[in-house]
Amino acid sequence: MSETVKTRTAKGLLYLFLILLSALCFTPFLLMLVNATRSGNEIMTGFSLLPGSSLAQNWKLVADNMDLGRGFLNSLFLAVCNTALVSYFSALTAYGLAFYKFPGSKVIFTVLLVFMMVPSQLSLLGFYNLVNQMGLIDTYWPLILPSVASPATVFFLRQYILSVMPKAILEAPRIDGAGELVIFHRIALPIMAPGIATMAIGAFIGSWNSYLIPMMLINTPSKRPLPVMVAELSAVRDITTNLGATYLVVAVSAVPIMVAFCFFSKYIISGISAGSVKE
Amino acid sequence: MKKLIAMVLAVLMTLSLASCSNADNPGNSKAPENNSPAGGNDLTDSTGYKQYGKIVLWTLAKDLEQFADRYEEQTGCEVEVVVFDSADFQTKIMQTLGAKSKDVDVFVGEPQMLPNFYEAGFCADLSALDNEVKTRLVDYTYEAGCDSDGVLRAISYQACPGSVIYRRDLAQEVFGTDDPDEIGKLFSSFSTIEDTAAKLKEKGYTIFGDTGALRWFSISSNPWVRDGQIIVDQDRLDYFDCAVELYQKNYVAFAKEWSAPWYASMAGPLPQLADSDDVWGMDKDELMSEGQAGGDNITQVFSYVMPSWGALIVRDNAEGNKGKFGVCSGVCSFFGGGTFLTVNEFSQNKEAAQQFIEFCTLNDDTAQWWLEVSNGDVVNNKAVLEANKDFQNESFGNQNTYGFYAKEMEKIDYSLITGYDDACKEAFGAAVMSVQKGQQTKEEALKEFYTTVITTYPELSVPADAPVTLD
Repeated sequence: MSETVKTRTAKGLLYLFLILLSALCFTPFLLMLVNATRSGNEIMTGFSLLPGSSLAQNWKLVADNMDLGRGFLNSLFLAVCNTALVSYFSALTAYGLAFYKFPGSKVIFTVLLVFMMVPSQLSLLGFYNLVNQMGLIDTYWPLILPSVASPATVFFLRQYILSVMPKAILEAPRIDGAGELVIFHRIALPIMAPGIATMAIGAFIGSWNSYLIPMMLINTPSKRPLPVMVAELSAVRDITTNLGATYLVVAVSAVPIMVAFCFFSKYIISGISAGSVKE
Repeated sequence: MKKLIAMVLAVLMTLSLASCSNADNPGNSKAPENNSPAGGNDLTDSTGYKQYGKIVLWTLAKDLEQFADRYEEQTGCEVEVVVFDSADFQTKIMQTLGAKSKDVDVFVGEPQMLPNFYEAGFCADLSALDNEVKTRLVDYTYEAGCDSDGVLRAISYQACPGSVIYRRDLAQEVFGTDDPDEIGKLFSSFSTIEDTAAKLKEKGYTIFGDTGALRWFSISSNPWVRDGQIIVDQDRLDYFDCAVELYQKNYVAFAKEWSAPWYASMAGPLPQLADSDDVWGMDKDELMSEGQAGGDNITQVFSYVMPSWGALIVRDNAEGNKGKFGVCSGVCSFFGGGTFLTVNEFSQNKEAAQQFIEFCTLNDDTAQWWLEVSNGDVVNNKAVLEANKDFQNESFGNQNTYGFYAKEMEKIDYSLITGYDDACKEAFGAAVMSVQKGQQTKEEALKEFYTTVITTYPELSVPADAPVTLD
């Protein structure tokens, strides 16, 4: 009897704690959604958890001042390209570093680690000049191509593949006469998939939210990704008038991230439960 | 797995196709324009404007989109306006023009950014227009457009002279007059401001929303820095004492600029706040309804000290008080903000860019048009100001606001402006604040002020006759 009471209180406390925690995570999100339906003046002057009545007005402001669809497509294009490049090339590099012994592999790995420590903002000046010299300002190339080299992802995937894939697994296809690239595509890549998916979420979100570098490199308004467009929206003189509209765009721009997360997180779980190395 | 890869690839291909085709269109249409002679083909139409190819304008104020539309309408020349977030605008300009980019032809700057742009060599020489600007535009905007060697590099279409925006009905009640000249006398020095505040307090009114309003008067007779020395003259000490007195005697409403109570105070009575109240968390509507309901501690704010654009903010938030405001001069004339246009030194369309700037700034029709369209923005074209000097502004009790601002502008002494002003004002304001709240003595606060400024600008020093000596 006392045992059940004890477990019940423990469970109750646990639930209470979890409910609190989820409320804490959810409230800012809810506020964003609520603020998207309120007028700028209301947002400036108070705080509410009940939706306002200015959604249509905010939407009109957004539609008048920016091409939301265009920004959406731009951001999506950049994010998908980046995610694909990061995933594939990082996996390839990680695989190479993990399973091939060649002179200098240790040095390369150390160099990778060092570059991981350098924040991208720091290299912005030099990067801008480089891109300028190459005549690629105001194009998408400098926003996409650099993701081929993502040290942090390579590092993670190298550690990951070392832990999930014994080297012996490569011997079977080699004996059967498979080429090295075929082995990577057919065997290593599927085994690494859960790890790649994890990194892909990060890459997608990072690219979707990136602001500083696109802001610097893109000059034509129609090529701007969503975050840069949002900043422009808030640049209209009196901030109070379009605060609600800004919230609305931010709320809309959060949708793909949620979709991406749902998709990838499902994939991670299925990937983990269907690991290829079965004892 | 194969299926998945195939799907991802398919999606990627469609997306890249879609974006390529869309991205290419503006590129294709842009190409011939860029090839057309940027120097113009000497075709001058009836209005005297030459035909040029498209130019690109970078700005942080959406205003200029309207100017560009009008320019295109009247001259047939295209201007592509790109708006940037003001927070990152200066970085973007520094970065892009630092790499000598030709992608932009005209860009804007606010007075505090301009010296940086001049020094970096980004702004083309506009001295061909020097004479016109000097004679036809308000002096201080000409001087702000010149670099340290006096070469004209930027031109503005607006002027933002300062003013005291006061409540006519309250003035009538307390002082028996609402005449701007008479009320101006009440604000003519820091000691009269203290007296004015005391009289208003007797009737239950407060002179300002917050003591921060006084900061605009911090450059009255001496610049903040002269010959490498930081100057704290008697005026600044008076400003200091005045702010502390207004604060400690509750002569202000403790409604900070840009907070909800501050906006609410323009439209009607509000409860007297305490200095410890969190103004940022307040609800404007609640304050208003509490104010309307009446009670013991209800107050009204008498005046706001702001540049001319501030008068428009007061007007737009006045609600029932609209038309009850007036503008008069304060302790000294000042200005704040304003958009200046400048030509990119590395542009290949300099002539076209200059023609556009001329159109925006030196064309009387444009200035008159802007004055009407913007619904009250003060232009810096002297002839247009003169033509509108008798205009009776309904929102300000039929006062001739343009005439008033035109006179204020003439009094602005631009030689008092230095590059150190922002840092000095901020540090001095912080010192005032700490003494108001009783956190520091005046001496300690002044010492901290000097230390802060010198830490930021090590080349400056404290003069021997300073009110305090640093250890």
